[in-house]
Amino acid sequence: MKEIAVIGCGVTRFGHHWEKDHEDLLVEATYEAISDANIELKDVEAVWCGTFYPSTGISGNVFSDTLKFFGRPISRVENYCATGMDNIRNAAFAVASGAYDIVIAAGVEKLMDSGSRGLPPIEGIFSVAMPVVSAPAMFAMAANRAFKEWGWTREDLALVAVKNHYNGARHPKAHFRSEVTVEKVLKAPMVAYPLGVYDCSAVSDGAAAVVLTRPEIARQIVGDDYAVIKAIGMAVETMHPWHRPSESFLSFPATVKAAKMAYRMAGIENPRKELDFGIVHDCFTITELINYQDMQLCKMGEGAELIRNGVTAIDGDFPINPDGGLKSFGHPIAASGVRMVAELTKQVLGKAEGLQVKDAEAGFAHNLGGPYSVATVAIVSRP
Amino acid sequence: MACISSCSVYLPVWKLSRDEISKETGMPSLGGERAVAHWDEDSITMAVEAARNFTGKFDAVIFASTSPPFRIKQCASFIASALDLPESTFTMDITDTMRAATDALITANEFVDSGKFKRVLVVAADKIPAKPGTLYEQLYGDAAAAIVVEKEGGAKILGYSTSTKPLPGSWMLAGDDAVRDYDMRVDARYGYASSIQQAAMPLFAKLGLSPADIDRIVASAPDPKSYEGLLKAVGAKPEEFYFSSIGIAGCAHPLLLLATQLEKTGRILLGGYGEGADVLAIEINEAMESNIGKMLESRKEISYGDYLFNRGFVGIRDAPDRPSLTKFWRDEKSIIRFYGMKCKNCGTVSYPISRCCIECGAKDSYEEVRLGERGKVYTFTVDYLVMPGNYTGDGVHPHCVAVVDLDGGGRVLFEVTDTLRDFDGIECDAVVERTFRLLFEKNNFRYYGWKVRLPR
Repeated sequence: MKEIAVIGCGVTRFGHHWEKDHEDLLVEATYEAISDANIELKDVEAVWCGTFYPSTGISGNVFSDTLKFFGRPISRVENYCATGMDNIRNAAFAVASGAYDIVIAAGVEKLMDSGSRGLPPIEGIFSVAMPVVSAPAMFAMAANRAFKEWGWTREDLALVAVKNHYNGARHPKAHFRSEVTVEKVLKAPMVAYPLGVYDCSAVSDGAAAVVLTRPEIARQIVGDDYAVIKAIGMAVETMHPWHRPSESFLSFPATVKAAKMAYRMAGIENPRKELDFGIVHDCFTITELINYQDMQLCKMGEGAELIRNGVTAIDGDFPINPDGGLKSFGHPIAASGVRMVAELTKQVLGKAEGLQVKDAEAGFAHNLGGPYSVATVAIVSRP
Repeated sequence: MACISSCSVYLPVWKLSRDEISKETGMPSLGGERAVAHWDEDSITMAVEAARNFTGKFDAVIFASTSPPFRIKQCASFIASALDLPESTFTMDITDTMRAATDALITANEFVDSGKFKRVLVVAADKIPAKPGTLYEQLYGDAAAAIVVEKEGGAKILGYSTSTKPLPGSWMLAGDDAVRDYDMRVDARYGYASSIQQAAMPLFAKLGLSPADIDRIVASAPDPKSYEGLLKAVGAKPEEFYFSSIGIAGCAHPLLLLATQLEKTGRILLGGYGEGADVLAIEINEAMESNIGKMLESRKEISYGDYLFNRGFVGIRDAPDRPSLTKFWRDEKSIIRFYGMKCKNCGTVSYPISRCCIECGAKDSYEEVRLGERGKVYTFTVDYLVMPGNYTGDGVHPHCVAVVDLDGGGRVLFEVTDTLRDFDGIECDAVVERTFRLLFEKNNFRYYGWKVRLPR
């Protein structure tokens, strides 16, 4: 694909914003992004805005009526927890086509207004008879099978939480800014066996926005202070993995395919060698370990080795989630993928104060949504 | 006259000690245990469980219950569907009287005797609502029993006779949520023994039999003492009444007693009591196996608090989403009859039936196949954010779900039932079996379908 420039990023603090509306969050993120990009809102020719829960049913008006940004094309994007990065995919390809020069891709989620513990339920339209499965339960089923197949343990999962909270404790915009110990993780109340509270990312509010353009225009606006999206891969698999006999629950096929697609687009053969770091969708600790394998950082069954040996620590051989991940930020669905691309941008530009990965020139970000049914992988590097 | 060819009983997995009831409520204990249904069981689901043990087809299904979950809506049609019987099956409910099951047996006998139907399923189930701290709470037990009536079989129905006597007894008004009575002593003294004897006399005369020709007498009764009193009055030895292990299973009790009697040969008298009595004379020439022993052995103790939860007296069941009733009806073949599809292109068996194969995508190229009864857990979890039945989690009653590879193919996500807080034995590769249950109650409707439990 043609490289697309990220010239501005805006991210709100993630957390329980009881006193703020989705409007406040979206305004904050958008204005921070255009200010960072050195442009004005009127320079923006089109917008892609992702939401999953709060604004379903009001479409493009989510963005237009919040920013009073009228008379231009706005698409609302929804693709489970991968909404954010799919949103960027749509915006990036539109800019690449030459139809627009400068666009915004934003994502906002206001989960605390739903009154729900965990994510609000979605009415199942496909099978009335199917039991409702909470998000932690979907991934807990992968954990139990991995325990059975590979002998992974709750301690292995806890190491992921410890690592990500260590990083997040140093990030000014994270929801949770404190470290945890293995013991604390293991003793926390159970959410969906074997996942306890600290194995799960939190339900949080937040918004993020990025300004995208083509590199030649970027240079005119911000000089060389921009990052490039080299690839975005995406794949959609079944929303009923539990009804597909070939599903292993040890690998998420959507991730495998999205990663292959992104690596091919970017001409990467060995990601562990050719990239410097990554941000993966750690909605649950087990997800991060499986992601290592699906993103081709190691072989099947070796995911736990990486965390045990410190490979993915911020000072490790291949840092994963140097920002603290969803574990520290919480997961305002549509905002997460946009925030991940913003974090990649900061890292490759050397602006990740206190959490800078050494010599970070190129990295990937991975979004995984639904019952592991939708995955997006973006590769971002210095120009 | 017709014959009985097989029998089956179903007892829920829980037994509640009456001493435990006494301890918690202060009511004097009647001793022993009563059968307690899981929260997702009612007379429909227990009837299906009892009837599922039979193989072969039926051309009529008669369901007997005093606790049908619907006031308007036939239960037998649900039962026939869960048993995958054809739509040509004759279905009927007999309700509202403790005599319902013997009435059903008499009706089945007439159907077969007249040649109208060849093979009739008679199934009775009751889960009678009683208020905590009342005598009825200790008196009743939840159970189902089923009998197959056809032209040939190991036990012959020699004849029947009835009497009618509208005593106050016990009753429920249309809007009542628990059973009530005026004075049970009136029934015991004036109703029970005389109704049964009144019904039996003409039967003896008709069949040319004397009491000495009868080997055993079993009859339902308002309470166990009345049955013993009856047998004493006629100078016979009382049979096992299952009060100390099950309780009085409502209208299903005579059928349950019959099923256990079929395990031995001999000539028996079967009585069903309620506003009069039905009495049948049955000659058992070949002993049949009932599964009562297996059912009694495979039960677990339940605490009084958990019993109250199962009965809906404790906890909140909050249902945020509203699945479509139309879809429930449209997908009957997958949901109730439990058919999946076998792809003609790649051979994959999958669930539910859908237009395109989940593995190869082949369009409209499949045959419908009924999926297996048992399977192996591929993976599972215990979900504290959801309560069994898709209700919002209360943090105390987690929802156990398992991905199950069924024997013969097909992988299905099931709720694991018959478990409250103890999930021992549920692990990868564990064997589980299907069980018909209430999935959830929403839109003021009861949605039924299949779950799994550890094998009993």
